[in-house]
Amino acid sequence: MLWFVPLLQLLAALVIHGVGKRWPGDDRGRAVLTLAGVAIAVATLLLVSVAVTVDWSGTYRWSSRIVLSLGMTSASAVFAIVVPLIAAPIIVYSAYHEASPVSGGGAERPPVGLVALLTAFVGAMELLVLAEDFVTLLIAWELVGACSWALIAHEWQKAGNLRDAAWAFLVTRFGDLGLYIAAAAAFAGTGSFAFADLAQLDGWRLDVFVAGVVLAAAAKSAQVPFSPWLFAAMSGPTPVSALLHAATMVAAGIYLVVRLHAELSAVAWFAPVAITLGLTTALAGGLVACLQGHAKKLLAASTSAQYGLMWLAAGAGFPGVALVHFVTHAFTKAALFLAAGIAERHVGSYSLNAMRLGRLLPGVAAAAMVASLALAGVVPLSAAWSKEQIITAAGHQASWLAVIAAVAGGLSAMYATRFQLLAFGRGRHDRTNTAASRPGHSRAEAISLYLLAAGTLTLSLLWWPGVGNGLADLLAVHFPKTRPWELIVSLLLVALGVGLGFLAVRREVSRQQSETRAGMADWLGLPTLTARGANAVMMFSHGLARFDDRAVDAGIRGSARFGAWLARLGERRGEGAFDGATNQLAKGVDWAGLVARRVHTGQMHHYYTGIAAGLAAILIILSIGALL
Amino acid sequence: MLGALALAVSGRWTETTARRFAVAVSALPVLLLAWGWQQFDPQGALFQLVEEVPWVPSLGMGYRLGVDGIALAVATMSALVFSASIAYPVDTQHQPRQYYAWMLFLQSVSLGVFLALDLLLFYVFFDLSLVGMFFLIGRWGHGQAQLAAFKFFLYTFCGSLLLLLAIIGLYLSVEPHTFDMRVLIEQQPLAGAGMTGGLVFLALMLGFAIKTPVVPVHTWLPQAHVDAPGPASAILAGVLLKMGSYGIIRIPFAMMAETFSRYAPVIALFAVASILYGAFVALGQRNLKRRIAYTSINHMGYTVLGIAAAGALIQETEYARELALVGATVEMVAHGLITGALFLICGSFWQRTAEYDLDSYGGLLRQAPWLTAFAVLASFASLGLPGLAGFVAEFHIFAGTFGVYPWLAVIGVLGILVTAALFLQMLQKVFFGTMPARWAQFADLRPIERGVLAVLSAGFVIIGVAPAFLLTLVEASATLLVGGR
Repeated sequence: MLWFVPLLQLLAALVIHGVGKRWPGDDRGRAVLTLAGVAIAVATLLLVSVAVTVDWSGTYRWSSRIVLSLGMTSASAVFAIVVPLIAAPIIVYSAYHEASPVSGGGAERPPVGLVALLTAFVGAMELLVLAEDFVTLLIAWELVGACSWALIAHEWQKAGNLRDAAWAFLVTRFGDLGLYIAAAAAFAGTGSFAFADLAQLDGWRLDVFVAGVVLAAAAKSAQVPFSPWLFAAMSGPTPVSALLHAATMVAAGIYLVVRLHAELSAVAWFAPVAITLGLTTALAGGLVACLQGHAKKLLAASTSAQYGLMWLAAGAGFPGVALVHFVTHAFTKAALFLAAGIAERHVGSYSLNAMRLGRLLPGVAAAAMVASLALAGVVPLSAAWSKEQIITAAGHQASWLAVIAAVAGGLSAMYATRFQLLAFGRGRHDRTNTAASRPGHSRAEAISLYLLAAGTLTLSLLWWPGVGNGLADLLAVHFPKTRPWELIVSLLLVALGVGLGFLAVRREVSRQQSETRAGMADWLGLPTLTARGANAVMMFSHGLARFDDRAVDAGIRGSARFGAWLARLGERRGEGAFDGATNQLAKGVDWAGLVARRVHTGQMHHYYTGIAAGLAAILIILSIGALL
Repeated sequence: MLGALALAVSGRWTETTARRFAVAVSALPVLLLAWGWQQFDPQGALFQLVEEVPWVPSLGMGYRLGVDGIALAVATMSALVFSASIAYPVDTQHQPRQYYAWMLFLQSVSLGVFLALDLLLFYVFFDLSLVGMFFLIGRWGHGQAQLAAFKFFLYTFCGSLLLLLAIIGLYLSVEPHTFDMRVLIEQQPLAGAGMTGGLVFLALMLGFAIKTPVVPVHTWLPQAHVDAPGPASAILAGVLLKMGSYGIIRIPFAMMAETFSRYAPVIALFAVASILYGAFVALGQRNLKRRIAYTSINHMGYTVLGIAAAGALIQETEYARELALVGATVEMVAHGLITGALFLICGSFWQRTAEYDLDSYGGLLRQAPWLTAFAVLASFASLGLPGLAGFVAEFHIFAGTFGVYPWLAVIGVLGILVTAALFLQMLQKVFFGTMPARWAQFADLRPIERGVLAVLSAGFVIIGVAPAFLLTLVEASATLLVGGR
């Protein structure tokens, strides 16, 4: 029965794509599209809630060795609910924010293809979080990647978008190889692909398995050194970025770590690796976000950093904390992306320096403010609670870890402040300014943003005493105990970060971006390195292709030439020789004939000697034969 | 009943314009094989539906046909690819009757290869397929078609001569002398025969490696593909290459298990080399058809890797080896359907523009949405996207190989990354971005082309989503071949 959850989305995507072309091209079409998208999301939510209450599961047999199975754990339930919850407002937003790329003749058609793909994306993600074995997981894992390829490439007329989409797909597929290997190791060790049998895994296969899973998860959730693919993904439309960061693609990585935490932590090196990866990404991402001048890229770097914090929590032994931070982050980040998209529509670019739309769009600015403050970690907003939990979790491993995590928190305060002030601060544009003449945004887009901001506010209830413990019981996880000094340090760092953010914004106005800073802002130069690597691969394959044409094939062509030469030689010499031999033979026969004629003398004694000689010859031959 | 099938197809009386007739005749084996599928009992013996007519009894030759799960799967796929290729519109250069006659002839002998249970019969069909393909390339090809056809014929003919020697070697090694495959599989004649066994094995493997092809004896393939007409390429890649890998399973793998297991690591190494080399060289190609031709080398590398892993007699790895063999077979079926579709698409390009240079295209999505849709689907299938047949096969192969040769599996899996890169780059160059003005008149697929591609695509989508029907069948034979030794 559980198959209905992902199948509903995937089939609905096909139906929307097929039927949608006939829908009217005006606002009515958009309304129908919105209704369809939301109805599917709501239906999914209902299905998931039924599934959670009556504990559905599902299996589907491929062969005697491979059985696909779905099931519901607490982690998958959280994801399965949050994903459509986030997706619904985003789909509403995209129905009004975007247009179909093939709309010709001036009139913009509603983005039917985009909404269909977003729906399919959600379906693939649902499949991913419900998977109970590696085959199903891998299917969903790669489908999510392919969907994001198609979504990033949505505006296909620009070749650059395709390159970015391919880039994102390839980087994450490199991680997928880890999952292939992990699945193979699990099968080699246990004879099945099911998660349930993983406990039997041991020895070197367990190490290989964990390494594969970590690689796959790190690539998907954009940890260092894979982080730059998220920048490439920014070529996609805004709602795609929002969904990708908040609930689907990037979230898949941390989901896997949370889901398989028990198996992963069976090897000793998992915790240090996860903590190092997470902390490095949190710090580097924070730094990049503080320097970045492109609104969406700032948010993208922040996504890496926030997922880094989740990795830290999981590495420290508290996957439940990572789970809660995922939820709070999802609402916050989705809201911020939608706000950035609205801002772009007003000024025509994502450059933060051109925005400052606070006066023009007070409502949007207020909603973005809620999300920014939550991202900054300001008490009492939702993400602040989960971030403090992460710092406490890190403190359980070592106190200095907690301090570094708090510094990462301070960085997020700084870039969140910077984003809010630059994008929605006061100045530049007010109601009378030229920017108002641009198309701007529709009410539906704003409402989606408000809904997500409201979600952030609702989740702030986590600060209410007792709610946290209740949640821990509900999810069957445990949260670490908060220590006062860590909370104080962390809050001080948040305040410092906000202050620095203000300062940075003030200085930003006066100064141009320097070269080094631009380089730093682009993931500290990582993309240049990878681009160089990609170029090397292309050169290598072109070289190999030439080698194949010239060298490998040369042997064959050489032997063909040798054959032809042999034939010509045969024609010139051999034929002559054979011909000559035939002539000689003819002459020989001629001569023999003459001799034979001479032998026929008619005299008996000549015949007798002949017969005697013949007999002697036969005798000699026979005796030679006998001797042999 | 299967003998009648092969004969029915040989009746190559085609009317001048009756492509329809050819299609109808070519569809017959598909139906018959589907019926065979119904009759096949997965719990039963290895070979079923056996047909036997003595031919030259004194030499132990006979007209023996029959199938196991592997042969049935591959033969059905071949019949389907043939029907699709015959139905695909092509410029027959005013010789439609000859063209379709050769196609049908080729279909009958190709199916004969997969259904033969007699070594000599196998060899005869194997060689006749070369003849058919030689004329198809040479007469209806383009570019340096004659040269390509010669190269193809002579190169692969060298392979089949080696094969003939090896087959005679096998024949002489059993008492009483026979060409019956079932007897040979049962008796394992050359086990422990040292030098002779090694030589026969080498000749067999070399012969099949040329046909498959495995790096470094692959260079006949790209040229033959580029200059062949689209449907012939589809058959060459979809069916003829499979004769090599199918032959490896049928003869050295099954009849010389011990020798095979001794050399399995070497074969696996060559397979991994094929995977990576094929993928990288394909990435370096600027010609659309050459690029796809080299991905065939890559994909056949997966198949051979699966077979090699399945043939390694390492203790306690039966599950993994069975998985690898199932994967190799599914890869054959999947590759036939997918690459068949891709080459037919190439054929459509040639019909419209006579241009294969990737860099000259761009932005065709607006002009030809159907063509784009099928090309994207087939490309993703070829790069192993889940939900499509390529994934099922590759996943089986890697999971199986890992149990036997972990390191080779880890290296080989890199191949799917390069394949992804090369297909995404190809799609980007041809279908997206801005369109050069010279393609403003580019026409989308005609209904018949759409229909044919839809059938092939349906094949690999169904195998990707619900492979149970195929896996059950193949698994039955794989278990017998791997576990029964």
